[in-house]
Amino acid sequence: MFAEWLFAAFSILAVLGGIGLVTFRHPMNSAMSLVVTMISLAGLYALLSAKLIFAIQLIVYAGAIMSLIIFIIMFLNVRTEDLPEEKGRFLYLFGGVVVLAPVFFFLKKIIQSIPATKATILGDGFGGIKEVGLVLFKDWLLPFEIVSILLLVALVGAVVLAGKRRMSK
Amino acid sequence: MSLLDILLVIIRVLFAAFVPLCFIAVCVWMERRGAGFFQDRAGPNRANIFGFRAAGLVQNLADGAKLFFKEDVISDHIEHKFYFVLAPLIIFFTAIVSFAVVPFADTLVLNGKSYIMQGIPLDLGILWFFALAGFSVYGIILAGWSSTNKYGVLGSLRSTAQVISYEIPMGLAVVSLLVVYGTINLNEMAQFQGQLLFGFIPMWGIVLQPIGFVIFLIAAFAETNRTPFDLAEGESEIVAGFHVEYSAMKFAIFFMGEYVALFVSSAIIITLYFGGYQIPFLATDTLISYAKPVAFLLMVALPVIMYFFAGWIRKNNVSHYPRKNDPRVYEANIYIKCFWGLVIVLEIILFAILLFKSGGAAAHIFVVLLQVCTFLLKVTMMIFVYIWVRWTLPRFRYDQLQKLGWQVLLPLALLNIFITSAFVVALS
Repeated sequence: MFAEWLFAAFSILAVLGGIGLVTFRHPMNSAMSLVVTMISLAGLYALLSAKLIFAIQLIVYAGAIMSLIIFIIMFLNVRTEDLPEEKGRFLYLFGGVVVLAPVFFFLKKIIQSIPATKATILGDGFGGIKEVGLVLFKDWLLPFEIVSILLLVALVGAVVLAGKRRMSK
Repeated sequence: MSLLDILLVIIRVLFAAFVPLCFIAVCVWMERRGAGFFQDRAGPNRANIFGFRAAGLVQNLADGAKLFFKEDVISDHIEHKFYFVLAPLIIFFTAIVSFAVVPFADTLVLNGKSYIMQGIPLDLGILWFFALAGFSVYGIILAGWSSTNKYGVLGSLRSTAQVISYEIPMGLAVVSLLVVYGTINLNEMAQFQGQLLFGFIPMWGIVLQPIGFVIFLIAAFAETNRTPFDLAEGESEIVAGFHVEYSAMKFAIFFMGEYVALFVSSAIIITLYFGGYQIPFLATDTLISYAKPVAFLLMVALPVIMYFFAGWIRKNNVSHYPRKNDPRVYEANIYIKCFWGLVIVLEIILFAILLFKSGGAAAHIFVVLLQVCTFLLKVTMMIFVYIWVRWTLPRFRYDQLQKLGWQVLLPLALLNIFITSAFVVALS
């Protein structure tokens, strides 16, 4: 029962954060709404007993990425009078809602077709750091290494680009 | 849940919430007395209540009263008042909550049930600390940005860049530590450190990971924004950095949050590298089976220590010029009587433990109390190290700070991971 209330609270917060991200005019307000969404998602992961994903969501998304985005917004120092005038934004919003309405009904139908079974928490430390690590390094070693190389390429690229600009000075 | 369960939950949550708050007063007092000591002056010694100065602790009360009754100003030029008020709260709240996963004693076993001794029963350990350290950045950014002040923005730019870049060597130092301990749970780490290396050296993190310790310590100094890394404040250049526009209680919350962060990072350093709550050579099991001899030794040692402590108080708490009926001598006598009273109470408790049967619930509780005291003592010593460094080293220049982080600490931490892994693979 308590978990269901938490689920409802986190879901509502996540959706409200998403709405805030789209509708706020000032980028700082939008970014802070996105932080709320990220933290609520972390809460939802925790309710699914995915402990490691919960921690990673908090550290990487809510912590590192969002703080970099907010750092950039602060760096640019956007003032309210600098913002462009968005005429007819509510018209676009209305149009978007109309376009998305069929998708919403489709999703509603899918959710209703799911058989009502009682969810139970999987035992044996499911979602814990040790179990995820074992699965990652035993069954999915090759994909894991390929993704690592992809990230390494991106890192090296960033360093090379940063270095080039310094040389041309 | 039985009554005992509920009681222990209340105790552990209250401990995790109120001990950091109490340590604010201790930290501020230690900072001032330490500053006085290093600069060869007296430190706070005037504020008093009926002539009792409590070695300068009353000064904290005076400061608190002043900040509480000051007018709380939010200037008109501040556009985003919500973020302006939110920022100090974020810093204070994240600092306190990050203490919640630090164990302050080993798991207490009563009637065959075990009770974990940390604020919230979460086994994410060090990851939780990193998550909340990441959140405290928001407080700094929002404070500087919403102040709409050049000094504020500069201070928060410096501070954010510093915290984000020093999180990397800190995380890498912890990675090599995880390779050694094989767990992220702080309580299991502390239990691991109760073992002995070669049978006579406590297996503390600092013995196993000396390079990692240095990296972590430097990064922790940078994370808490303390000298030699306190460019964010830089009084001589940017006045006070991100909290330049804050006054009264909102400033006080920044100030308190900073000291709570100091306490928490000391607690984390203690748990990772100095055995946490473990008393050297006396792991929890040994301590439980030898509870009575230890209690007896403490009963003998306490009065002796108190005798010398009383002599020290009497020697130091006097006026430095001849005075008739010196009020400070009278003050010192009252303090000494209070401390003797405390010693008598402790002796009665220790005597009660001698009466109970060994290995029972009393022994377990006694061990937990001893470990809590050890933990707090170690944390106080670590806080002293912070203060020692603050009043000894000058501030870095900003480019030196970034160079140290990226060009020295980062490669060193990576090298440390390789060396550690090689050792662990070779030895296992």
